[in-house]
Amino acid sequence: MSENQNQTPVVRCRDVSRTYQKDAIPVHALRSVDLDVHAGEFVSLAGPSGSGKSTLLNIIGGLDEFDGGSVQVDGVELDGLSPAALSALRLEKIGFVFQAYNLLPVLTAQENVEFILQLQGIDKQQRRERAAQALDNLGLGELGERRPGELSGGQQQRVAIARAIVTRPVLLVADEPTANLDSATTEELLVLMARLNSEQGMTIVTATHDPMVMSHAERQVHLSDGRIDRDG
Amino acid sequence: MPLKLILQLSARNLFRYPRRNGLLLLAIAFALAGATFTNALMRGWQYDMLDRAVENLVGHVKVQTEEYRDDPNMLHSFALPQGYQPEISGVAIAGWAPRINVPAVLLSERESRGVQLVGIDPQREDISFYADLNIVGENLSGTADGRIVLGQELARQLQTSVGRKVVVLAQGADGKNRERGFRVAGLFDAQAESLEKAVAFTGLATAQAYLGGSPQAGSEGLVTEISVLLADEPQRLEAVDSLGSEFPDKLVADWRTLQPQAAEMFALADMGIYIIFLFMMGGLAFGLVNTLIAAVMERVRELGMLRAIGMPRRVVLMQVVVESMLIMIVGIVLGLAAGILSVAALADGIDLSAFAEGIDAFGMSALLIPVLSTKDLVMFSSLSLLLGLVASIFPALRAVRITPLMAMNR
Repeated sequence: MSENQNQTPVVRCRDVSRTYQKDAIPVHALRSVDLDVHAGEFVSLAGPSGSGKSTLLNIIGGLDEFDGGSVQVDGVELDGLSPAALSALRLEKIGFVFQAYNLLPVLTAQENVEFILQLQGIDKQQRRERAAQALDNLGLGELGERRPGELSGGQQQRVAIARAIVTRPVLLVADEPTANLDSATTEELLVLMARLNSEQGMTIVTATHDPMVMSHAERQVHLSDGRIDRDG
Repeated sequence: MPLKLILQLSARNLFRYPRRNGLLLLAIAFALAGATFTNALMRGWQYDMLDRAVENLVGHVKVQTEEYRDDPNMLHSFALPQGYQPEISGVAIAGWAPRINVPAVLLSERESRGVQLVGIDPQREDISFYADLNIVGENLSGTADGRIVLGQELARQLQTSVGRKVVVLAQGADGKNRERGFRVAGLFDAQAESLEKAVAFTGLATAQAYLGGSPQAGSEGLVTEISVLLADEPQRLEAVDSLGSEFPDKLVADWRTLQPQAAEMFALADMGIYIIFLFMMGGLAFGLVNTLIAAVMERVRELGMLRAIGMPRRVVLMQVVVESMLIMIVGIVLGLAAGILSVAALADGIDLSAFAEGIDAFGMSALLIPVLSTKDLVMFSSLSLLLGLVASIFPALRAVRITPLMAMNR
């Protein structure tokens, strides 16, 4: 057992289930899932469409509800948290990278990164420095004044990663982060994420179909029909 | 709450959909400009009506005997104290005039007409419409002038003219009918036939000598009324109280009591202003709600992302509200500016003399001068802001209900 695995996991799922109603028919998206993600791990949730990987990722990210079981993020039990408390948890502890980048088009790259620090109430000077540093670390130091429309897809996704990590979250959640990128840009981005994981010890959980993403993750969790059928 | 962030995002979002927001701004500005201009015209009409009611020998406050109100003749006159000057503590008086105002019959060689014979001190009548009359011939030279000034229409009906004589028949202070010949000094043009055929003026001292006999000791002779014009109309009730103490056995009333029809028209104009404004802005509110909802629905993904990364609901709500308020504020400023400029362009008034007879029936002058009221502009701005706030609440609640999952599933 590694040193990390002796510590409380960043994500701890026990007996998690989630059932949707689709056209009045219950759909079991997750069935009794157990999963621990420890600090510093890079975990890829994989599986075919409808396997439950996105549902599990959303539940871990505090974006979706679950019907049964227990989910803890950084020791905080998500079950029973109010919407406001969940918002605060996401803001303080979780960084998000979305498939469609989802940058604010009216803000520059620097402002998009600063924006989340503003929500946290961090002062202007510190915001400037931290955002500039995050962009610089991701090779975007020269592009801070550009708006998203003036950046390529890969550059936009790197800004989104800068926005996600600038708050120094305990967990980075990435939903199909390379789905809109070409293979060269995907490779660059995955190297970047792997570097964040290895150099900064960033805990990353990603849901993906992409074998390239899976190959960069140190741990692959495979889901099928709402259950984990392979982990490792 | 990160207000600065909300303001920054909202301000930039204004320029994000330039065509839609530009059209919305135009609609708000157009409604505000229209409301301001319409309001200025209505206020102009209202104040003109007030001036005409007040200047129509009424004044803001009038002192008469109780009996005169029911039976206006010299039997119900009263003695004007020697050296009388109205003084009201804390109320500025613009002017005052003592008068005799009684019904009389005017006879020319060919016709006779019933009129109001008004004995005036011409130097004091700058408080009434008399000072603004265009007189063909000569004006009365003073209170002792023994001539008469008639309206042009009355002269036409009597088939008389300047320099000719008419006979006036009226009841004196002793109850006996008296008659006296008057030479016509001039004919006045009031741009309102009703006034021209209803009133005839002569000097006050002449009327007193003709109808009232010799003045009593310590008095300046009999009068039927003292009319007072205040510098500030809203102080009329204080003036009524003060003059009421000075003349406890007399009836002291303000113009609204003396001219209830004009007062009701005044109040109606007030209400009309608010109703027109509410209709204009109410219509706009639907457009505003619709546009804001469209703006929210176009940004479901973005708003969902904001919620996902931890933006609290109240901040999302504030952002939509602030965005609509910013549009409203810019629209209000543009609309008020356009409205004020359009009123300024017509500051010399709108000439309605082509419709003089028709508008006379509405108690209007031939020259309608738009009046801008700061109070109204402040009220319009405040109500528009309130409207913007109310109109933004529904779209803001829609925005708050957007969840990160909804955004991702789009």
